[in-house]
Amino acid sequence: MNLRSPLGQARGLGSAKDGTHHFWVQRVSAVALIPLSLWFVFSVANLAGADYEQVRWWVGYPAVAVTLVLFIAAALYHSMLGVQVVIEDYVGNEAAKITALLLSKFLHLVVAVASIFAVLKVALA
Amino acid sequence: MAQFTLPRNSTVSKTAGRHYPAPAGAGKVQTFKVYRYDPDSGDNPRVDSYDIDMSACGPMVLDALIKIKNEIDPTLTFRRSCREGICGSCAMNIDGTNTLACIKGCDEIKGEVKVYPLPHMPVVKDLVPDMTHFYAQLASIEPWLKTDSPAPTRERLQSEDDRARLDGLYECILCACCSTSCPSYWWNGDRYLGPAVLLQAYRWLVDSRDEATGDRLDQLEDPFKLFRCHTIMNCAKTCPKGLNPAKAIAQTKMMLVERRT
Amino acid sequence: MSTSKSTAPNRPLSPFMIGPYYKPQLTSMLSITHRLTGMGLAGGTLLLAGWLIALASGPQAYAAYAGHIGAWYGQILLLGFSWALLYHLCNGIRHLFWDIGMGLEVDAAYRSGYAVIAVSAALTVVVWLFACLT
Repeated sequence: MNLRSPLGQARGLGSAKDGTHHFWVQRVSAVALIPLSLWFVFSVANLAGADYEQVRWWVGYPAVAVTLVLFIAAALYHSMLGVQVVIEDYVGNEAAKITALLLSKFLHLVVAVASIFAVLKVALA
Repeated sequence: MAQFTLPRNSTVSKTAGRHYPAPAGAGKVQTFKVYRYDPDSGDNPRVDSYDIDMSACGPMVLDALIKIKNEIDPTLTFRRSCREGICGSCAMNIDGTNTLACIKGCDEIKGEVKVYPLPHMPVVKDLVPDMTHFYAQLASIEPWLKTDSPAPTRERLQSEDDRARLDGLYECILCACCSTSCPSYWWNGDRYLGPAVLLQAYRWLVDSRDEATGDRLDQLEDPFKLFRCHTIMNCAKTCPKGLNPAKAIAQTKMMLVERRT
Repeated sequence: MSTSKSTAPNRPLSPFMIGPYYKPQLTSMLSITHRLTGMGLAGGTLLLAGWLIALASGPQAYAAYAGHIGAWYGQILLLGFSWALLYHLCNGIRHLFWDIGMGLEVDAAYRSGYAVIAVSAALTVVVWLFACLT
C-alpha cells in the first residue's frame, strides 16, 4: 500500500536531466536514412533477376560497398534507438526492461558487425 | 506496469446492464448507453441504456445526462458546473472521443450515444474519474511565476508579441480530455506528464516574465516526463477548446535541442 | 476525502482500448502503423544480414538464400518489407517536419497523413514495377 503523497508520487525520482541526446541522434540517423534507404530500395529492385556473380560485382564495387556500409550502420543505429523506445514504453518491470534493452543493443551490434563484415569480405576479395 | 488490458475488477459486464425505455408517445428517441459503476456494491462496471425523448430534452449530451438523473435514474453520477464549456468538469468519452458533455450536441452523433468516463483512469463512481494524480502532475511543474529579480513597483512589463506567445496556452481549462486520449499516457501515466501538463509547462517556459526557464527545462528533460511523447497527436484532435498540446510539446523539445546546439 | 489512490478502495480502470471504446482515428492509426513498420523493419534487418552473409559465403549459400526469397513466401516477405520501409520513410519525413514545428495543426496533420498513405503505396508499386521491368 503506497502512502506517499500524490505530489511525491508525481515527482518520482526527479528529472533524469537527459533524453535530448537520444531524440537528437534518432533524428540525425533518420535524415541520413532518407537518401540511403531510397538508394537501397531502388538498387535492390534493380538487382532483381541478377545472378550471383552480378550481385557480387555490384556489392564489391567500392562506391557501392561504402554506401552499403553507411546504410547498414545508419539503419541499425536508428533501429536500435527505436526499439529502445518501444521497450521503455511497454515493459514495466524494471529487471525485464533492462534485460530487454541490453539484448536489443547487443543483437543490433551483432547484426551490424556481421553485415558490414560480409560486405567487406566481398569488396576486399 | 503498463496496463494493456482491463484488470479483472474493471471489465464491463455484458449482462448486468439495465434498460430504461422511453415513455409512451415519445417523439424522436435517442438511446444513451452509459457506463455505470457503483463502488458500494462491489460489482463490476456495467452499461445502462436510457431511451430519451429528444423533443423533451436540451440539445447537448449533458442535458440528456441531467434529464436521466432528474427523471429516470437519480443514482447516475457525473461532474458538471458551468454548462458552457469553460470549467472542464464534464469531460468524458462520448461516442469514442474525449470531449465536454455540455458542448457536444446529441445531433452530432448518429444512432446510440455511448457515454464512458475518461479512458484509463481509476473510476470513483459512474462517470467520475479520480483526478488526483493528474492534479499532482500539474503541481509538480510549478505553474506559477518564478523570478529572482526584485519585484517592480508596478506591473511586470510584457510586449504585445510576448503576450501573444501565451495565446493557445493560457486558455487550457485542465479538463484532461487530451491526456486521457494519449496512448502513451495510458501506458506510462505514472511517469509521463501528459499533454495537458506539458502544455502548461510550455506556457511557463514561454512567459517572458518568468526567470526560471533553464530550471524548468532541466526538470522536463527526462526520457519519461517529456520524451514519452511520440507525436501520436490524439491530444490536438480531441481538445474541446481547440488547443494544440502536440505543438507545445514539439516546441519544448526544440528548446531543449536549441540549448545544446 | 481520499487524496491518494492508495487509501481509496480498489477502483476499476475506465475502458480505453482503441476500437471497442476509443475511436480509431487517423492520428493514432498512422502512429501505431509507424511503430509496427519500424519493428517489422528491425526484424527485416535479419533478412538483409542473411542476404549479405549468403553472398559472402559462396555460390551455394547464395543459391539457397535466393531460392527462399524467390519462393512465394519470400516474395510476400519482400513485398511487406518494401512497403514497410517506404511507409516508415514517408511517415518518418512527416515526423521530421513535426520535429521542426511544422504541420502540427490537426487539419495539416490529416492532409499529410493521407499523403503518406498515398505516396507510400504509390512508391511501393513503382519500386516493384521497376524491379520487374529491369
